[in-house]
Amino acid sequence: MFARLRDDLRSMLREQVEYRELLLSVTRRDLLLRYRQTVMGFGWAVFTPLLNLVVFSVVFTHVVPIQTTLPYPIYAYAGLLPWNFFASALRFSMTSLTNNQTLVTRVYFPREIFPFSAVLVGLVDFVVAGTVLAGLMIYYRVGVSASLLFLPVVIAVQLMFTAGLALLVAMANLYLRDVRYAFDAILVVWMFATSVVYPVDRVGGRLGALLALNPMTLIIDAYRAVLLGGELPAPGPFTAAALVSVATLGIAWLVFHRAEIRFAENV
Amino acid sequence: MGGVTAPAVIFEGVWKKYQRGRRYDSVRELVPALAGALLRPGSRGGELGRQEFWALRDVSFAVQPGEALGVIGPNGAGKSTILKLLSRIIAPTRGRVDVRGRMGALIEVAAGFHPDLTGRENVFLQGAIMGMKRAEIVRKFAEIVEFAGVSDFVDTQVKHYSSGMQARLGFAVAAHLDPEVLLIDEVLAVGDLAFQHKVFERLKAMVRREIPVVIVSHQLDRVVELCRRAVLLTAGRVVRAGTAVECVAAYVDGEHLAEAGHGPAPVQLHAISEAAPALVHSGEPLTVRLQGAVVEPAGGSQAAVGVWVRSLPSEEFVFATHSAAFDLVLPVEGPFEVAVELEMNLGPGAYRVQAVVWSVPARTPWAFGPSTIVRVERALPAYGRAYLNPRMHLLAP
Repeated sequence: MFARLRDDLRSMLREQVEYRELLLSVTRRDLLLRYRQTVMGFGWAVFTPLLNLVVFSVVFTHVVPIQTTLPYPIYAYAGLLPWNFFASALRFSMTSLTNNQTLVTRVYFPREIFPFSAVLVGLVDFVVAGTVLAGLMIYYRVGVSASLLFLPVVIAVQLMFTAGLALLVAMANLYLRDVRYAFDAILVVWMFATSVVYPVDRVGGRLGALLALNPMTLIIDAYRAVLLGGELPAPGPFTAAALVSVATLGIAWLVFHRAEIRFAENV
Repeated sequence: MGGVTAPAVIFEGVWKKYQRGRRYDSVRELVPALAGALLRPGSRGGELGRQEFWALRDVSFAVQPGEALGVIGPNGAGKSTILKLLSRIIAPTRGRVDVRGRMGALIEVAAGFHPDLTGRENVFLQGAIMGMKRAEIVRKFAEIVEFAGVSDFVDTQVKHYSSGMQARLGFAVAAHLDPEVLLIDEVLAVGDLAFQHKVFERLKAMVRREIPVVIVSHQLDRVVELCRRAVLLTAGRVVRAGTAVECVAAYVDGEHLAEAGHGPAPVQLHAISEAAPALVHSGEPLTVRLQGAVVEPAGGSQAAVGVWVRSLPSEEFVFATHSAAFDLVLPVEGPFEVAVELEMNLGPGAYRVQAVVWSVPARTPWAFGPSTIVRVERALPAYGRAYLNPRMHLLAP
């Protein structure tokens, strides 16, 4: 059993190395297509989180005001930024295999390429939308500190968690198209179960304890700590989030890799 | 391996089971399906489920380096399944598929093209999908575009291309792969006649490169020309394996045997063979031997034996003759052998020469016998269906 696991891990990595140029080509294609097919192009990467920000700012500063340590817009945007990365990467990867049906049924290449490129496209949007956060930080005079150096680690943890789920949802949608609709609903619930636009630790009780296990809350808390708080993420929760991310990616990738030979028959 | 080169492509006792239609389209179908799978596990390898069928049954063959293997057979025989198994898109239900080396597949060549990308962008994307490195594509780019004949349109979006241009560009990318094993699926009919000719020359060059090649095609003349060996599939089984000429003959015989019908013929033909190799140049002689027997005493007075020549793969009728025209008398009873001498005044291509028992009173074929396949090559730069044995002299000035 361990021999098979070792062989699978080796072939997974070897294929990604061998097809690394294809991953970049497909990512470039998807970015290029959006840029070419839409008038706003990358403007959309900024527009969606900004619109969300305006709506939630009105709700949580005027309708039901809540207390945050930082000015609300910057608090919310630091949550919306990673959340939009997460949600849009998963939505995009959901249909990545089914939309490339002709290729999946006719040409051989590691099928991980499509979900992975969906995550990379999300990462590019994340970087573009990140410029708005920089603007907000200057406006609200939030200084940065050396903790910013830890940002790549936080991004890497989110990247692994997102990539793992991306593989699973792409595969699930291939077998059952209902998954896409179910997952849209799940994402809405998940967003409000995460400290995106309000701190979930205010929920308290048994539900609060349950919500505290949500890896996305731990990841978004880590973003706020290194970006806005000028401190390292809380070691315990962040280590837990990192372990969950590594495990998610590892298990999802292995399952995907072992199932992909049957994809062409199930599209 | 003891000095003998190991086969580059191995198919060993391969079985492939398919599902008819989708397994489940909704939860209403999914739940019973999952429950069923839990209740009777183990139906995976062996027997067939209700909606399942065998696309391949116990198929075995091997391709040596430098050899081209043709896979022929009617629609639904399992040809495409073999190519999909070879290109690792699907896995066999049972048996072993082994391909050694980097594989290039000329399958549905424009599959990866995106209409909103330019020709240039699509070439790079398609190349990457087929496993080419970026540097390799950069190096071959001009050649690819030139081959496809779209040099003036490389920076135009592919949606503005004609379908012929798209197909040509798709093939051009695939044709510039440098594979160690080559798979070809029915791409010989891409583009106009001039491009088809260019494609075919390119394929011949690839086949000559001493790499193993597997070709799936309905263009039997091309199979005969490109491949030395072939397998004939029917309903997922190999019904014949041998030289390409033998398999093509068996295929066309199987397809067209039940044509004539005037009751059992008094004369039977059981073999046809040509005296020379099955390749002649236009205008050269060809001798075929017919072996048969008169089974009804004096039946030979009612029947004659002869040959029908048809072109492949169109089965277009070219020529026929029979023994009654030569006042040839068959024996009263028992075996006989007849030699038919022909002058192959035909244009280049593959031809099927079929033994036929002719009904003298009815003036129609009585029964068809086996066929042989003869390939005709150009003798000198001359074109067309027939070969009119041209001579030319300068008369003036």
